[in-house]
Amino acid sequence: MSEQGDQPAADDAGDDQATAADAGADKATAADAGVGDEQRREFMAKAASFAFGGIIVAIPAGAGLATLLSPLSAPGQKGLKRRLASVSDLPEDGTPVRYDVVSERKDAWTRYPKKAVGSVWLRRLPDGGVLAFNTSCPHLGCAVGYEKGIDKFSCPCHMSVFGLDGERLGESVSPRGMDSLEVDQEKLQDGEVWVTFMNFRTKIGDKVPV
Amino acid sequence: MSLFKWIDDRTGIAGLTKEALFERVPGGARWRYVWGSTLTFAIMVQFITGVFLWMAYSPSATSAWESVYYIQYEMSFGWLLRGIHHWTAQIMVILLVLHLVQVVIDCAYRAPREFNFWFGVLLLFLTLGISLTGYLLPWDQKGFWATRVATELMEATPAIGPELQRVVVGGSDYGHHTLTRFFALHAGVLPGALVLLIVVHIYLFRRHGITEAKPATRAGALYYWCGGAVISGTLTVVAFVFGWGEEKPWAPWVIALVFAAVVGRVAFLFRNGSDDDSARRPRRKDGMFWPDQILRDAIACFAVMAAVLFFVFWKGTELTPPANPAESYDAARPDWYFMSLFYMLKLPPFQGAVGLVLGAIIVPGILATLVFLMPLIGKHKVGHWINVVGLYLLIGGFVVLTALAFNYDARDEKYRQGVAAAHEEAARVKELIVENGGIPPEGALSLLYSDPKTQGPKLFAANCASCHPYGGHDGTGKALSDEPSAPDLEGVGGFDWIAGLLTLEHYQSERYFGNTAFKDGDMAEALEELELTEDDVRAAAAALASEGAPRVGAGTGDQAQIDTGFALMGEDELACTDCHKIKGEGGKKGPDLTGYMSRQWMIDFIGNPAHTRFYGDDNDRMPNFLDAEGPDGEVEAGKLDLERVGLIVDWLRGEWPGAGRAAAE
Ligand code: FES
Repeated sequence: MSEQGDQPAADDAGDDQATAADAGADKATAADAGVGDEQRREFMAKAASFAFGGIIVAIPAGAGLATLLSPLSAPGQKGLKRRLASVSDLPEDGTPVRYDVVSERKDAWTRYPKKAVGSVWLRRLPDGGVLAFNTSCPHLGCAVGYEKGIDKFSCPCHMSVFGLDGERLGESVSPRGMDSLEVDQEKLQDGEVWVTFMNFRTKIGDKVPV
Repeated sequence: MSLFKWIDDRTGIAGLTKEALFERVPGGARWRYVWGSTLTFAIMVQFITGVFLWMAYSPSATSAWESVYYIQYEMSFGWLLRGIHHWTAQIMVILLVLHLVQVVIDCAYRAPREFNFWFGVLLLFLTLGISLTGYLLPWDQKGFWATRVATELMEATPAIGPELQRVVVGGSDYGHHTLTRFFALHAGVLPGALVLLIVVHIYLFRRHGITEAKPATRAGALYYWCGGAVISGTLTVVAFVFGWGEEKPWAPWVIALVFAAVVGRVAFLFRNGSDDDSARRPRRKDGMFWPDQILRDAIACFAVMAAVLFFVFWKGTELTPPANPAESYDAARPDWYFMSLFYMLKLPPFQGAVGLVLGAIIVPGILATLVFLMPLIGKHKVGHWINVVGLYLLIGGFVVLTALAFNYDARDEKYRQGVAAAHEEAARVKELIVENGGIPPEGALSLLYSDPKTQGPKLFAANCASCHPYGGHDGTGKALSDEPSAPDLEGVGGFDWIAGLLTLEHYQSERYFGNTAFKDGDMAEALEELELTEDDVRAAAAALASEGAPRVGAGTGDQAQIDTGFALMGEDELACTDCHKIKGEGGKKGPDLTGYMSRQWMIDFIGNPAHTRFYGDDNDRMPNFLDAEGPDGEVEAGKLDLERVGLIVDWLRGEWPGAGRAAAE
């Protein structure tokens, strides 16, 4: 225990007297000035405490936030152009067939030489063209399937239904039709189906790449 | 304000804040009281940065190093985040010691504060535990090997040692579960316990209030200066005894000067201590925690942060190569504050099984117990003195042992080479990741394993250097253990190397075949007879070197010269083709020079030099390194496999990922 004991009040009084005596004859003025100084000093101390405190917390927190938010400044996706099939692989009657898009992929630090990045519905048209849709649902991203019985696309999550041309049907919650993907027409002439694969933002009426 | 009132009515937050801030500080605010606050601040920084690091860290044997790599080198500001976390951990240890010293000097452990002291000591050990577990998490060579040593020590625990080790390591081997366990300890269990203890520690501290610091008196200040004298004194002795001044002659003198100044101050205080008037001096006015003490605390914390940033920028934050259990790491060392213990275990009394238990468990245990007992010992003045002197001795011993440990390492050639090799490998793995466009799913170690530049020298040293030197050394830069008895293979197959071989004087020298049966063989005779001119040698060398091309950075040479060379070696001139096949045509006596020193040629050659395509029966001692058919038709097993021979060949030929870029620069 501190040997000085605990009588701060008495000591304080003594100190004050000493200060006042030091200040000289005009007790009142000295006391006033003392209070003003004291207040200013205290204000400065408080301001400085906040300043120093703010800086030292901001540094680690700032470094952390910068890393946390780094995905925002990462470059967006580019379309992946891939050969998925030959035209002759697709049924002539226009039944859709699903193909996986496999690509080299970088996931943070790992580089996968081959990894499925998504899938595509391909459909042959009577005029020899090919339609390609991203299987991801524009509503909330579930994988849209092909329902044989009704010959339509339908999403298992919230029951959106799409026609074979990708148009939204009935009361579907999906904000837009299925996302069509670009098919290389020149390659199509040679009987090859090349698709530029990309993902789009969900929940909105417009088709905007992620 | 009504919202605030609404909240306050339900939480009492205003009263709480008031109580927290408007604490009375007996004797006024003091710099000496800042240590506890700086520690709290450091812990807070570790929590903030730790949680953010957690968001990017992946604890598994194939992703821990990789995710830390990503944080350090690819994530924006990741280096800063990791740097702050790393260096704050280092500085925290110093702050802990300072806090302890201040508490002991000020007798702040005396009744009724004993429990607070004990909680503080527990906090000290918890912090060390957090540091120890954190050291492993990057899963780099440094952390891996240091942790291995630490957990092996754990095995020395009487009775339950092996089981304890198994549980901590998560199996009999180090791997995924070692990391997941250490990570859970580092980020969950230990910090959780830490927070609990801190709450109790601070609660008790608030309950009893600040212990007013003694050094308002000169006699009290003596304590601090004596502490400084102990540390600077031991450092001075160590500096002179171990000749720290070899490279920087002024260094020991500077330390000595500091010591002298401190001693001077102590002497002054001692002389003038008798007329210490503190007893008669009016007591210092009490101050308020807010803002007087808080301002001092904030400035001290600011200084701590400045020191941390200084180290982040000055030293950077090391990430050694990925953990490799197969490759011992000569620079394996624990963090600096465990170096004293590490060094102690090297001393003679602590050798052997009993010594190990003594050094790793009993001695630290006794010291920890003594620290624990301080409040009881220090009840009276004499006990207090014993505590202070004991603590100073402990710190002095710590400083001496730590200094000795670093001193030992600085002189240890093996350690220095280990550090240099680790630096090189760390830089190389970074290069490989960039070349590869990322890290393969198997982890970064696989990049090093398939890299000729990394593996070539090691394989060469292990398999070839007992006969072949490489530039005079064993490939890794170490001296040869045996006298060389076969050609030096630095630059093998390149223009210069071939040109040397075609010059009799060199051919018969130690650099080529001087120590082999070929010294006076047919080739030597042929070279003697032919008396090649310098131009001949150059043309032939260019032609032969072109067979091994393309090799990175070597260039194929000038085509006209190459053509001349091939013409020269043909039947009509030098008639090399009498013995050697060149471009598929020629004799079978000497080695086939078709595709000479190309990748495949070298692999085939190393695979079986006694093959008829190469030396045949003339082969002089060189074994087949790949499985090959022996003279009696049975298969003789080779020492290496195709992959490893390929790595050696690629390295000898200077072909590895990124070599082209390096050559272009
Ligand atoms: S995700 Fe497809 S309908 Fe909701």
